Amino acid sequence: MPDLPSHPSNPTNSTPTSSSSTNTPATMTPPPPKRQKRDEYRKHAAEAASAKPDGETTAIAHVKLPKKKFYRQRAHANPFSDHQLNYPVTPAHMDWASHFPAFVNPDPAQTNLIGTRKLLKDVEVVDIGCGFGGLLVGLAGLLPETLMVGMEIRVSVLDYLTTRIQALRTQQQQKAQSQSQSQPASSTSTPAPTTDADADADTPSEAAPAIPDPTANTALVPGGYQNITAIRSNTMKFFPNFFKKQQLSKIFICFPDPHFKARKHKARIISETLNAEYAYALRPGGLLYTITDVEEYHHWILRHFRDESTVEDEANGAGTVKELFERVSEEELEKDDCVKVMMEATEEGKKVTRNKGNKYVAVFRRKQDPEWA
Amino acid sequence: MAANLQHPFQCLQFVERPNANFLIGSAGSKLYSYSAETGQQLAIWPQAVESSNGAEAQLEQGPPEKKRKVEDTQTAEPSGPTSETPEKSQASPAWSNIPILTTTANGEYVVALTAEDKCIRVFQFQEDGSFTQLSERTMPKRPSAITITSDDNTILCGDKFGDVYSLPLIPGDKPHVATRVPRGAKLSQPAATNLTVHTKGNLKALEQQQKLSNEAKAEEKPGLAFEHNLLLGHVSLLTDIAYVSLPDASSTKKRNYILTADRDEHIRVSRGLTQAHIVENYCLGHTSFISQLCVPQWAPEYLVSGGGDKHLLVWKWAEGRILQKVPLVDQASETAEVAVHGIWATSLGGQRAILVALHGSPRLQCFTLEADGTLTSQAPIQLSGNALGLTSIEKDNTILVSVDCIREPGTTHEWRASPSSPSALIEAFRVKSDTGLEWEQTAASVLEKIHSTGTSEVPLTTTEKERKELNDSLYNLGHLRKKKGEDE
Repeated sequence: MPDLPSHPSNPTNSTPTSSSSTNTPATMTPPPPKRQKRDEYRKHAAEAASAKPDGETTAIAHVKLPKKKFYRQRAHANPFSDHQLNYPVTPAHMDWASHFPAFVNPDPAQTNLIGTRKLLKDVEVVDIGCGFGGLLVGLAGLLPETLMVGMEIRVSVLDYLTTRIQALRTQQQQKAQSQSQSQPASSTSTPAPTTDADADADTPSEAAPAIPDPTANTALVPGGYQNITAIRSNTMKFFPNFFKKQQLSKIFICFPDPHFKARKHKARIISETLNAEYAYALRPGGLLYTITDVEEYHHWILRHFRDESTVEDEANGAGTVKELFERVSEEELEKDDCVKVMMEATEEGKKVTRNKGNKYVAVFRRKQDPEWA
Repeated sequence: MAANLQHPFQCLQFVERPNANFLIGSAGSKLYSYSAETGQQLAIWPQAVESSNGAEAQLEQGPPEKKRKVEDTQTAEPSGPTSETPEKSQASPAWSNIPILTTTANGEYVVALTAEDKCIRVFQFQEDGSFTQLSERTMPKRPSAITITSDDNTILCGDKFGDVYSLPLIPGDKPHVATRVPRGAKLSQPAATNLTVHTKGNLKALEQQQKLSNEAKAEEKPGLAFEHNLLLGHVSLLTDIAYVSLPDASSTKKRNYILTADRDEHIRVSRGLTQAHIVENYCLGHTSFISQLCVPQWAPEYLVSGGGDKHLLVWKWAEGRILQKVPLVDQASETAEVAVHGIWATSLGGQRAILVALHGSPRLQCFTLEADGTLTSQAPIQLSGNALGLTSIEKDNTILVSVDCIREPGTTHEWRASPSSPSALIEAFRVKSDTGLEWEQTAASVLEKIHSTGTSEVPLTTTEKERKELNDSLYNLGHLRKKKGEDE
């Protein structure tokens, strides 16, 4: 497969929720056929993915996963500009219930500050710049009881991932249903999606914890992908709007935009000032995973997280954000399945493998806050 | 002469010194100092060219590489072109206004920011009221907020790109060695290799870069030539900064905090100087940009914040908890957008007052802050022009408000047809009694004296373009509002 098809970066206006409007530019010219085709594809894919498993399982036997070629977008977004972003005023204003219907608190009285239902547990894992979602899909079965969210600034890519997760959930529900129908003891009534998913989550994971291949429509994945979701956001600006202090146990930053030019380094997702925000959201003992194929960026990461001090840096970075992190040893990483997923399941990771490139991994553990100075 | 307008005081500050008290202010491109007792003008900075060669030399050293043309606004100043000698026009400073002016607690040092050259200047404020410039430090990005730590040793400066630096108030004698190792050596080789993921086009570009890198030497940007530390950063325009000390419950030591506000509705609470990378919490709740943070000295546990929202928020900031949402405009009326220009805290005659001015409004809204953090609305003060700056003389139970004498009250862009007479630059109000927050205007002789000397003049013939630039230098909060626009 060749590299990214070079698409002209035509901005798309469709949001995941807007169903049918093909946004015509103000000039009244009809949209180019390519975009029209793309928009139609996306609409159908989104509808098909969310099809409810009712009686006619045979009719929609195979919900197809969306194709990436209809969701391509330029690989870079300016993190400093005001995108039209939706973000909660505070973490307590975030509507997580619509993202994780299987984990909604059954007590309807339990609502958050904007009146939506609370969850049974908090989101704990974040993939910053999740792209097409390979990492999330890979981790979903590995940590079926952990709520995970991917954050992505590019609209089209997020569209794809939202549709993909929906399709995966529907596939899993259908499979679970057909399996239960084949068993004599199971009830024939149509289960609601949520209860169905709950049942899924409770089934002991007979599937191996190996990384599930999302394209293979075979195995039941523990959790049925109910534990992953994706949100459009600019994490450089709005991370604290989504997560409260010490809420997270893992943050992933996989193959970040390298911003090769020195002039663009301030747009990098890793910097000492941003690391302070990651430290805020990460609980002591929590892990921050990074992987990149750019050696220079790897050293940049090490430099900004403590491990590699510049020549004249103060000892061990005392007085800087570096004192909040320690690097996790290689031996520990070898035992960590998340590292494996990060190496192999992400789209960029696969691409690097095809390209026979190098992968540089660095994981940091959040330390306790030091005493007040 | 009488037909011309005068530059209003953009900033105004009462300075209390052991032997005498002063008023200092910034108007147009200049600093002025007055005796607080008589209103006698004591000094102007920068001085006229004849008396100070030093100042001129400094000005020429300053890096006027900023793209924006400032010459235009300069012609709007003092005299007509006929009387202007070549030397004088040379001496006209590289900035058109001084948007930030603050002093150390003891009144000994004055810190001012000159706008276009992004330069933080520290002055020794002399007993005779004159300004002696001790240092000028040009920041990499336009500073948008400056405060001085409570020990009077450190300047905290937040900039347009959201970074907050600490600078020693008095730079050390040793020339500063940049701590960052110049990375030129490393960077002459492109960071990308043919093993990193590429499109075909990128790969070609990379080949070219690699060819070039052998020949070309990477340009090294010189680092800042003075001591500075990056404390923290927002990925947003930083709008205000506050340095607060709270008593620590567990020990006798005080805990210091840095509060920073940005254009993206965040107020961040970080630990003090050496631990600013530790975020204690965020105060989230605003739905538009934040322009002002006010932590009263007499009630440091509370924070009053405002900006593009039609209300103020009162916080117990250490907990990130909103105590109260205080409306600024009549909720029923569909008022146009508001922006908070200033929030000031003062304690006068037993009254703990919070005074609020909206952008381009001649109404000074008054509140009292109760011990439990409740903000209670009081009768407002009507001014003769838009409120710009405010300072209080607590021993006299008086506030001084600098008003915009160029624009019509209530507007940020419509100029008066003629100067108001008598031209009012500053208005003074005294708290009448200690039973409530009632004000009476005092027309002290001090003010008359200040008004009679005036500041530099703005001719009524100023062109539209120059007027707009002058307007923007005083009323720039509109740019902070996010446009509901296109997106990708």
